[in-house]
Amino acid sequence: MTSSRCAPAARSGSWAPVPELLVEPAALAVGLSTALRRAGVAVPPERSARLAAALRLVPPTSREPLYWTARVALASGPADLPVFDAVFSALFDGMLDPAETRGDPNAPPAIGSEPRARPARPEARLVDGSPPGGPSSTSSGDGPPGDGPEREAVLAVASDLERLATTSFADLPAEDVEAVRRLVRRIVLATPARRTRRTTASSRPGERLDLRRTLRAAQRSGGDPVRLVHRRRRVRPRRLVLLCDVSGSMEAYTRIYLSLLQGAVSGARAEGFVFSTRLTRLTHQLSVRDPDSALALAAKAAPDWAGGTRLAGSLRRFLDDHGRRGLARGAVVVVLSDGWAQEEPELVAEQMARLRRLAHRIVWVNPRKAAPGFAPLVGGMAAALPYCDAFVSGHSLAALEEVAAAVAAPLSRVPSPVRSPALVPPPPVSPTSLPPRKRNP
Amino acid sequence: MPPPDGAARGGAEAGVVERVPDVATLTAALDAVDYLADPGLATALLMAVRLPQPLLLEGEPGTGKTEVAKALARVLDTPLVRLQCYEGIDAAEALYEWNHARQLLAIRLAEADERHLEESALFGRDYLLRRPLLTALEHPGPRPAVLLIDEIDRADDDFEAFTLELLAEGTVTIPELGTIRPTHPPIVVLTSNRTRDLHDALRRRCLFHWIDYPAAERTAAIVRRRVPSSAEPLAVGAAAAVARLRGLDLEKAPGIAEAIDWVAALSLLGVERLEPAAAEATLGSVLKNRDDLEQVRARGTEWLVGTGA
Repeated sequence: MTSSRCAPAARSGSWAPVPELLVEPAALAVGLSTALRRAGVAVPPERSARLAAALRLVPPTSREPLYWTARVALASGPADLPVFDAVFSALFDGMLDPAETRGDPNAPPAIGSEPRARPARPEARLVDGSPPGGPSSTSSGDGPPGDGPEREAVLAVASDLERLATTSFADLPAEDVEAVRRLVRRIVLATPARRTRRTTASSRPGERLDLRRTLRAAQRSGGDPVRLVHRRRRVRPRRLVLLCDVSGSMEAYTRIYLSLLQGAVSGARAEGFVFSTRLTRLTHQLSVRDPDSALALAAKAAPDWAGGTRLAGSLRRFLDDHGRRGLARGAVVVVLSDGWAQEEPELVAEQMARLRRLAHRIVWVNPRKAAPGFAPLVGGMAAALPYCDAFVSGHSLAALEEVAAAVAAPLSRVPSPVRSPALVPPPPVSPTSLPPRKRNP
Repeated sequence: MPPPDGAARGGAEAGVVERVPDVATLTAALDAVDYLADPGLATALLMAVRLPQPLLLEGEPGTGKTEVAKALARVLDTPLVRLQCYEGIDAAEALYEWNHARQLLAIRLAEADERHLEESALFGRDYLLRRPLLTALEHPGPRPAVLLIDEIDRADDDFEAFTLELLAEGTVTIPELGTIRPTHPPIVVLTSNRTRDLHDALRRRCLFHWIDYPAAERTAAIVRRRVPSSAEPLAVGAAAAVARLRGLDLEKAPGIAEAIDWVAALSLLGVERLEPAAAEATLGSVLKNRDDLEQVRARGTEWLVGTGA
């Protein structure tokens, strides 16, 4: 970062004469980086060095070149930009010519303002990560259900806590909450597999011949390709997205559901969102290994804990900002909500229809389903139900097993409950035994 | 031709410096190849070329991210090497693959002639199938190639990690041949549509620029450049209509690419000014989603062309 480095660049070609710099580039770069770091943007040293080099290329003769050079060098993603703009403005506006553009016309909309610091991905993956069956396993679910081996969701429940297993989360005494949370965190939500483009070696005849490996094997038999090595498509678990309602009406359950989210996010690389009046993405916060600090971070990130419910609005935010970009595409989406929304049911139906078109499977978890005499008549719930593939209660530890089964199940859909909501209540049918649903065109 | 040292990048080659001395020259040069860059993008490109450093471009689909790389290659008068990423892409498709069939043939030939064939001969450059990354690295010059790694967010995260050596050091390593150090390290442009979060390790190695959708006047200017046969009022009207559409809550808001397509379609039909009937007939080239079409039709094409209340 010596200033002599700029000499060759300045000398070469038809460069405009470099005006006298007000500040040494390195000092400017370091100062700006430090201010950004203080504002919470992670700026690694190489970015500061890069800015110092860039300032010699693009002399900061006025606000605009300085702004763009600094932004391109220091920001690392759209989430950094609002903070960058604020810090830059605080530092330089007033110092430089204020007549120049103040607001940046090209500043992007604030898309997700997640903090940058991302904890290391836990190596723990799905317990059931082994690919099922041969090449005949279903790819996108179009094949007949059940031609691959059934994927059993693994549920680890300590036997001495049987009493806890059937107690509804709402009735859970405060002293047991911690124990239940620990158990919930260990529930493995394993999604069904999808076939990827990647291939893996296989001794059985597969889709295509693996020439590379065949040749290597042939070296052992004197150049004769005696043993043919094939490759077949690898399968991967589908993405899992959890949307948890944290509005006031769900409060008794969210304390537990959040642990479910945390376990899934840190263990199964799921995506976690919470919503009440607005939607908050908690994947970053929840992927912290330590559950307590993860929950603390999550609580800090979502400002609308225990507020009202804007179900349709939140679903829409999810689809607009995340879902249609690819997060929900082909994914298993789990909605944990009682469906008590303040909005028109049609709005909920509209958003559910959009979600339906993207997601591989929608599982709705409504803890109130377990209540005697429950019928999904609440506006939002009734509107959402036709779009769900599985509707489960998940009100207790034992009931969460149903959730895990519904997540893992091959495609199926609840029988259209809109025509006769009374049909739906407590049939203890496992979601796997429901008739195959009709795919959307 | 200084050997590039990964750790300390010593600035761009003289041939490049000559072509791209500063932001104003670069902007003018891009303009000359019909790419209208705003100051932010021009600064980002200058830094990418001159530092040199990989540039990560993010933005909504259809804001011309891919076009940037093409225009840059034209400005520098070098080939553009494009690697389109997709889920499951791997080294064999991105970097190189051994030409196994040819190797096998060589073995057979050697056997028939009763020659002894060295293994090192079998894993030489003759038997290498070059994929985009290697093609870009081995570009003979005189100026570096522009390597476009398009839609990196579509590739899996392990592929992302695989590109890190290339991005950080400008080299790649082939086990049988060793590390390949290019004589002209390519100028790397990555694009992402944000379908997933890129890893911080990748971001750290790149300059970052967010391409936003340009204002209506700029859209009109871009459209006029790309569809020279279009009438001025048509381009202005279409740009305003597209801006109006972007104000709606659409499933897939139209980008620059759609605006260009639309104007191209309209001028093909001989339309010189945007009017409801023509707009209605060609709406399918701006809106690619049935819900969006219905939403706009419900508002009426008069609203769209700006003649309605």
